[in-house]
Amino acid sequence: MKPQILSLEGVSQIYASRGSKGWRREYVHAVDGVDLDIREGETLAIVGESGSGKSTLAKMLLMLNNPTKGNVTYRGTRLKSLGAVERSQYRRQVQAVFQDPASSLNPRMTVEQTLSHVANRHNIVAKADLGRFLKEQLAAVGLNPPEQYLGRYPHQLSGGQQQRIAIARAIMLKPKIIIADEPLSSLDVSVQAQILQLLSELRKTTNVGFVIISHDLGAMQSIADRTAVMYKGRVVEIGRAIYQSPVHPYTRLLLDARLLPNPRGNRIRSPVPKQVTPTALSASTGGCRFLQRCPYAIEVCAAVDPQLQTMDGEATQVACHRAKELSAALTPA
Amino acid sequence: MTASQSRRPGLTERLLDVHNLKVHFQVSDRTIRAVDGVDFHVRPAECVGIVGESGSGKSTLVRAVSRLMPNLRINELSGDLRFEGRHILEMSERDLRALRRSHGFSMIFQDPLGYLNPTHRVGRQIAEALSPQGKGRPDGQRVHSLLQEVGFSDPKSVAHSFPHELSGGMRQRVMIAIALASDPKLLFADEPTTALDATVQLQVLQTLYRIHKERNMAVVIITHDLGVVAELCDRVYVMQTGKVVETADTVDLFERPKHSYSARLIELSAHRVDFRSAAP
Ligand SMILES: Nc1ncnc2c1ncn2[C@@H]1O[C@H](COP(=O)(O)OP(=O)(O)OP(=O)(O)O)[C@@H](O)[C@H]1O
Ligand SMILES: Nc1ncnc2c1ncn2[C@@H]1O[C@H](COP(=O)(O)OP(=O)(O)OP(=O)(O)O)[C@@H](O)[C@H]1O
Ligand code: SF4
Ligand SMILES: [Mg+2]
Ligand SMILES: [Mg+2]
Repeated sequence: MKPQILSLEGVSQIYASRGSKGWRREYVHAVDGVDLDIREGETLAIVGESGSGKSTLAKMLLMLNNPTKGNVTYRGTRLKSLGAVERSQYRRQVQAVFQDPASSLNPRMTVEQTLSHVANRHNIVAKADLGRFLKEQLAAVGLNPPEQYLGRYPHQLSGGQQQRIAIARAIMLKPKIIIADEPLSSLDVSVQAQILQLLSELRKTTNVGFVIISHDLGAMQSIADRTAVMYKGRVVEIGRAIYQSPVHPYTRLLLDARLLPNPRGNRIRSPVPKQVTPTALSASTGGCRFLQRCPYAIEVCAAVDPQLQTMDGEATQVACHRAKELSAALTPA
Repeated sequence: MTASQSRRPGLTERLLDVHNLKVHFQVSDRTIRAVDGVDFHVRPAECVGIVGESGSGKSTLVRAVSRLMPNLRINELSGDLRFEGRHILEMSERDLRALRRSHGFSMIFQDPLGYLNPTHRVGRQIAEALSPQGKGRPDGQRVHSLLQEVGFSDPKSVAHSFPHELSGGMRQRVMIAIALASDPKLLFADEPTTALDATVQLQVLQTLYRIHKERNMAVVIITHDLGVVAELCDRVYVMQTGKVVETADTVDLFERPKHSYSARLIELSAHRVDFRSAAP
């Protein structure tokens, strides 16, 4: 197994906001006790519920947020204790592509200015070669002919073109890890395939690793070595085969909700009424977070918060009291 | 609802009729033909999809039609654009505002953060959309029921949040609620569910579809997700470099695509290439 490069130990992020009454503070446990190892050169996908803390997790990995609890370590050193020089090295080695490309690009800088600013600051190419270098970078993300795009401001680009500038900016620095939040969702499947191809080549030539957050389960299935599924601030399942053999009831629900390119499908037009019988078990603090939506809930689920446990013989971990039974039911007897 | 009764779909009638639309931008000495001679129409109560290349002009097309192109360097904007027979390009700002305010068209954008006011609570922004002139008291009940309609189980706390306190997916649902507030006849939705997880996406699309049917509201949806188009839309336009390369009923498009680009999109959506690294 490859060595760990980044790891999260019991990491939580609690946001405070003004409460609905206006005077009392309310706390949101956006990320709630996550342990996760990211290995060198691997592609880890993070999928899951909207609002489950995926972007918050990414912000902590990028040192944009400090965890409220727990630690993030990079090659064995806690991010908290990095000195100034190490910090700036970290910022170069760990690059970001954000969820909202429009707001991550400086609106007053042209594409050329944005990219050459980064190139110059990190001295990645001789001045004389800069022009050629930038064109290569744009061509690599499918912006052809590149001269067409260099002089444009972000608002003069389409959503997918902005996203590709953000990708070009991140890979230009040859980082060790790229943390990308929804990098593909604004691209058509054909450009998507081109970017996925580019990422997989980069992986071969530079051994760069990726943490990719996405709602596009199809794209993640085609690129991820491992996938973590998040629900309400927790990782509820992580493994290599979650698309083929999901165990956690939430993972199953998520995969079942995918829309396939089938014009005769009727998931939207005449939805089958949900068969989930809401549990009679009432939500109490301390029980499973998925209880209210879970068709498999039993007594213990209301009382005990399930922790990630390794499934036998496999590199899969699941946080569910009934994981063993559920995964046994998957394998044909 | 009186508005929906007056919206009996006619077969040949066209709610929106666009002929030979051209939108050309100027960037330094270059002309960008973002939309270059597009014919496009929407019948009352119809659901139309637009798919195609990134940068092919999809967003520009619907922005031009809804006349939402402020301060851009446009060197050509031409064509015959009609909404219920009225020429859109010749409408006064005042008439346009009236159309956006009630029973006209609404729009849901690709990036919600850019269109929500960061300093106002979500509930207030929805209340403003419900009574844009500030007439009458904001109706908390209607704000909450709109939030419920787009899938929030706790409308009260969402209404009290500021946009940055919500996740990307939650913000997108707020945008949908705002767009529905004016009870539009035509809703443009530019990638409304890309920021949502599959279960919420399904729930939002089911909601959108139900409202589309109940209110007889026409919908134009731009998306890169062919699964969404396949299940939601009656008819589809496929765009490439500023042009419509194919338009067909959804089933025909998926089962008998005529243009090679459409065929490629469908093929790539159905059969994903495996890009994983070989060794674990
Ligand atoms: N600055 C903030 N202040 C208060 N609450 C916040 C803040 N940022 C995020 N949250 C809350 O934290 C939770 C997690 O948000 P986050 O953006 O990490 O979710 P996500 O998994 O990325 O969702 P999506 O898939 O919709 O982008 C949400 O409930 C959100 O409302
Ligand atoms: N204000 C502008 N000035 C100059 N060029 C522009 C402007 N807005 C858009 N463009 C260009 O027009 C073309 C069409 O852009 P548009 O945003 O309509 O594409 P799109 O089909 O919506 O793409 P995506 O799927 O990536 O969102 C693109 O090449 C884009 O770079
Ligand atoms: S622990 Fe219980 S409630 Fe939670 S997912 Fe498993 S079966 Fe369902
Ligand atoms: Mg997010
Ligand atoms: Mg667009």
